[in-house]
Amino acid sequence: MPIVRSLRARVVLWVSVALTLLLAVTIVGLDTAFRGSTDRAVAELLQAQLLGLIALAEETSEGNLTLRDENLNPQFSLTDSGIYGTVWDADGVPTWRSASLLDSDLAVQRWPAPGEQYHVRLAPHSGLPELEMLVMGVTWEFAEGYVLPYTFGVAVSMEPYATRQAAFRRNLTGWFVGVTVTLVLVLAGLLRFVLRPLRRLESEVREVEVGERSRLSTELPTELVGLAGNLNTLIDTERRRLTRYRHTLDDLAHSLKTPLAALRTLLAETRSGGAPGQGEAFARELDRMDQRVSYQLRRARAGGATGFGVEPLPIEPIVHDLVTTLDKVYRDKGVSCELEIAPRAVFRGDAGDLSEILGNLLDNAYKYCKRSVLVTVATTADGVDIRVGDDGPGISAAITARLFERGARADESVPGQGIGLAVVRETVELYHGALTVGRSALGGAEIGVSLGRAGA
Amino acid sequence: MRLLLVEDDQSLNRALVAQLGEAGYKVDTALDGREGLYLAKEYAIDLAIVDLGLPGVSGLDLIRTLRTDGKDYPILVLTARDRWQDKVAALKLGADDYVVKPFHVEELLARVDALLRRAGGWAQSELVCGPVALDTRSQVVAVNGQPLELTTFEYRLLEYLMVHAGEVLSKAQITEALYDQDFERDSNVIEVFIGRLRRKLDPEGKFQPIETLRGRGYRMALERGAPAPQA
Repeated sequence: MPIVRSLRARVVLWVSVALTLLLAVTIVGLDTAFRGSTDRAVAELLQAQLLGLIALAEETSEGNLTLRDENLNPQFSLTDSGIYGTVWDADGVPTWRSASLLDSDLAVQRWPAPGEQYHVRLAPHSGLPELEMLVMGVTWEFAEGYVLPYTFGVAVSMEPYATRQAAFRRNLTGWFVGVTVTLVLVLAGLLRFVLRPLRRLESEVREVEVGERSRLSTELPTELVGLAGNLNTLIDTERRRLTRYRHTLDDLAHSLKTPLAALRTLLAETRSGGAPGQGEAFARELDRMDQRVSYQLRRARAGGATGFGVEPLPIEPIVHDLVTTLDKVYRDKGVSCELEIAPRAVFRGDAGDLSEILGNLLDNAYKYCKRSVLVTVATTADGVDIRVGDDGPGISAAITARLFERGARADESVPGQGIGLAVVRETVELYHGALTVGRSALGGAEIGVSLGRAGA
Repeated sequence: MRLLLVEDDQSLNRALVAQLGEAGYKVDTALDGREGLYLAKEYAIDLAIVDLGLPGVSGLDLIRTLRTDGKDYPILVLTARDRWQDKVAALKLGADDYVVKPFHVEELLARVDALLRRAGGWAQSELVCGPVALDTRSQVVAVNGQPLELTTFEYRLLEYLMVHAGEVLSKAQITEALYDQDFERDSNVIEVFIGRLRRKLDPEGKFQPIETLRGRGYRMALERGAPAPQA
């Protein structure tokens, strides 16, 4: 299982890493180039100043070399100007020091040979900042004909360069961070835009699952049309398979039940002639076969949370049809059935399943009531709440207990309300709903069924 | 009472005809929808028992056609398809009740009995006309609370008259409803049975239960319901 599951997160992560690496390499490269050019500029400056000093050197009457400030670059005379110079004689004693040095001295570690020059970096000391110094050995031929070795040294402060370098680095980093953040944001937005159809496809698949839509729309980018088409085919195939499966079960029911009916009727006809008790035993076995066949078929036929739901189903017309049917069947009883149905109550699932649930509950109510039945259907946050109550004797504790026994099979023994309720219970469970048995305001039993969304 | 049974399963059809006959009904039978439709339209039947899964014309189509043609006798549906959607569809088309296969014969007979009573305007299984009480379930007849012994045919005749209490029933109608065979019966037979029934119900000639309307037929003359208790 990959750590980063979202495609968008993956792309953003990898682009961020790549940009950061690029940024680091670029900063190092540009910084190096900047320092190189600084170093060259410093070297040229030192070279020019050194040659200037040599050119302006004068012989003193004591047969020594010195420089006169008024001829020099005025910076040599200014305190803290950042340019310093010194001329040493063969013994290493300064014969001239620039006024900018004040009390400090430039330190030379190694005296250069005549004609030799080298650069040296001087750490800050005795009030001077960090310096870059150029030192050169010179052989001076005096006008009187003798020759003496001298050493010229020129130094510049590195402070302004270091400041500029730091500013350059700050700028560079700032720009790059800005560019990276902008790029990542643009990329995230782009991905959001590009991936939107995928997200829509995903939510449509979810809607198909919970029964809010029957197919995926095909108004998608060309790259996804094929996928949606394939998914639609899969959904259709699955639905057809389900329908065929249910039809097969129905046909099976039909083919089994007519012979059962024939057997039972034939048995009633011949019972008088057989051995005593034999006919009853036969009839009992037939009853058991019938109960099991009916129960298993009704159970298997329930569609339930197939993941391929249909359109939301208005509940009211189904209740109406059932009540009309039962009014006809129980006409002699003159049942008064009151309906309190929320106008927009819908069921997300199979119409046959809802008919089975309501049909069984209503049939029980009509069968066991004295005169009155009350049906209430209310919408809840995640589905509907259906209650069917009557003014009959109520459901015995034994049947209720057996009904909620885990894995209880009502086809085994419970007569009357048992089978219908067991089928209701199992169908309700397919929809992850809940079944409750209570007492109705009318005085008899009240069966409550709360149904959510299929697959919810 | 003349019933029509439309059921394509031969064994079930035969067994049901026998059971219904034993219960005192005259039964016409068809093995497919087309034949059933023909019989249902041609004969004066009191109730039709129709299987939904029929070859030829389906049970639902049969019911729809009969109701469209204005036939208003009760229709009882037999169905192996016990889904509520199927039951609702059948009753919406005009059926009056359903029995789900495999059923108990007693259950079927009770439903047939109830539908016939209802069609005759009776709500209970006990039909009471004055001092005469007839229980269609137990097939027991009593006059003034005293049980009365009747032969099967006498019972069927009395039940037919009482279900249609107040209506004039011609000899032909009674013959149609009570005899299994279609051949012409000697109409004297009905007269003979009516005479016997009168003597058994009212040996002293006090309340004249069955009225003869010359040239038109017979009528159960007693008012429906128990007589007001005498002070």
